[in-house]
Amino acid sequence: MKEYVLDEPLTIGFLKFLELFGTVRFLEQLRKPYFSFEKELFISIKGFVGDCNVEVRYKKEFQDLMADYFHLLLYYYDQGERGVSTLKEYEDSIREKMKIRLDPLPGNGT
Amino acid sequence: MNPEPQDAQPPLIYLNNAATTWPKPTEVLREVANCLRQPLYEPGRTTGNGSVDYPSAAREALAAFFHAGPFEHFIFTQNATDSLNLLIHGFAKKNGMPFHAITTELEHNSVLRPLTTLEQDGAIRLSIVPFTDTSVNLAALKMVICEDTRLVIMTHGSNVLGAVQDIRPIAEYLHANDIFFIVDGAQTAGHIPIDLLDIPVGAFVFTGHKALFGIPGIGGFFITEPDAIAITRQGGTGTDSQTLTHPFEMPMRFEAGTHNYPGIASLYAGIRFITSTGQDTIEKKNTDLTRSFIRELKDIQGITIYNENPDLPVVSFDITGIDNHEAGFILARAYNVITRTGLHCAPLVHERIDGGKGCIRASFSYFNTRDECRAAAEAIREVAESADKEISSD
Repeated sequence: MKEYVLDEPLTIGFLKFLELFGTVRFLEQLRKPYFSFEKELFISIKGFVGDCNVEVRYKKEFQDLMADYFHLLLYYYDQGERGVSTLKEYEDSIREKMKIRLDPLPGNGT
Repeated sequence: MNPEPQDAQPPLIYLNNAATTWPKPTEVLREVANCLRQPLYEPGRTTGNGSVDYPSAAREALAAFFHAGPFEHFIFTQNATDSLNLLIHGFAKKNGMPFHAITTELEHNSVLRPLTTLEQDGAIRLSIVPFTDTSVNLAALKMVICEDTRLVIMTHGSNVLGAVQDIRPIAEYLHANDIFFIVDGAQTAGHIPIDLLDIPVGAFVFTGHKALFGIPGIGGFFITEPDAIAITRQGGTGTDSQTLTHPFEMPMRFEAGTHNYPGIASLYAGIRFITSTGQDTIEKKNTDLTRSFIRELKDIQGITIYNENPDLPVVSFDITGIDNHEAGFILARAYNVITRTGLHCAPLVHERIDGGKGCIRASFSYFNTRDECRAAAEAIREVAESADKEISSD
């Protein structure tokens, strides 16, 4: 688990971007609107819209693969439409590496 | 990004007192400062005049508080976990041969993990007695006692269910049958009157940083039969320094190295605070807070309370439709209400009450107020109602 402090507070726009990559849960009627983002095997993020702090968790076994993923989400959000396709391609390459790690059979690239 | 303006942070409501009480009484903070303001008074070692002999003062205070003696049989450790490790491993080492040990489903990992380690090493066979409703009784315990049962370890109060266990009949039975009985009083010491003259335990474990109002890093145990426990720590004691073996005298037998003087001073002051305030007064206030909080929670739809009549100021509950870690995170960050979520280091209790998924625990101390209870319950209501109206992209 890591806690990040962002340069700018989180926005609804960023949540809509996250929805393209995983499941977003949004509880907007709280004192501060809470969200969580879950992408199975990849990452989970939780925080509040309007806050600069977010809590990010990833699976221990994929920690090295995921270390940059959160930063990439932030980076490609700023890139608009083009960022979505680039990040999806990046995700595919991460999935390949995960597959090899989960099933290290001879001839499977290990 | 276009942020919405953030409201000012509401005042902190600390409901994690079963883990560590906060705030500490002013008297405790003052005593810690006093302790550190002067050179330490270390009996047996070169020391100055005018300092307080905190270890002796605290041992005497503990002996009076728990109605037990001699006061040299109160041993200082880091906390309850440290005490339990010292006692459990020390008992196994002393016993030598493999034997049968018993504990209960209500235990904390500070009991379960040392016992499991011994079991895996082949030093013991372990039976775990289930609880019924919220307690473990003597009849259930008797069912698993066998010829080579040498040790029983049991909590005095569950850190999840807040249920105080009736240890007296168990202690009497075990004492009569020559079975060493260790009671984990981490959750009860300070909260309820404990008369160790009246309960024949082998050892009673306490920690300073919970209801005794000390600072983290100080705990201990009272032992009636020191010979039952092998010495597993050796070192400097300020006595018999010419011999290379560790002294057998109490309390040095189980204490090596420099004490945690600020911690001991805090424990001493914490006990004095309880005594001067009145344990009845503290207990009554905690009970009122707990009952009023439970009443508030019962009015909220989607809340499951796991024990509606706790003996200790501990309320464990679940909010339908939201993971307990998420709920705890929201309560802390959006409402400044600090609870403790998850398994509370008591996995077997949770296995029984919630299938092992964990829950939210609110726990009170003398310094909480009715207004805080109401505000916390209101925050929980908002989380529960919001969970009911969530928007998900799934």
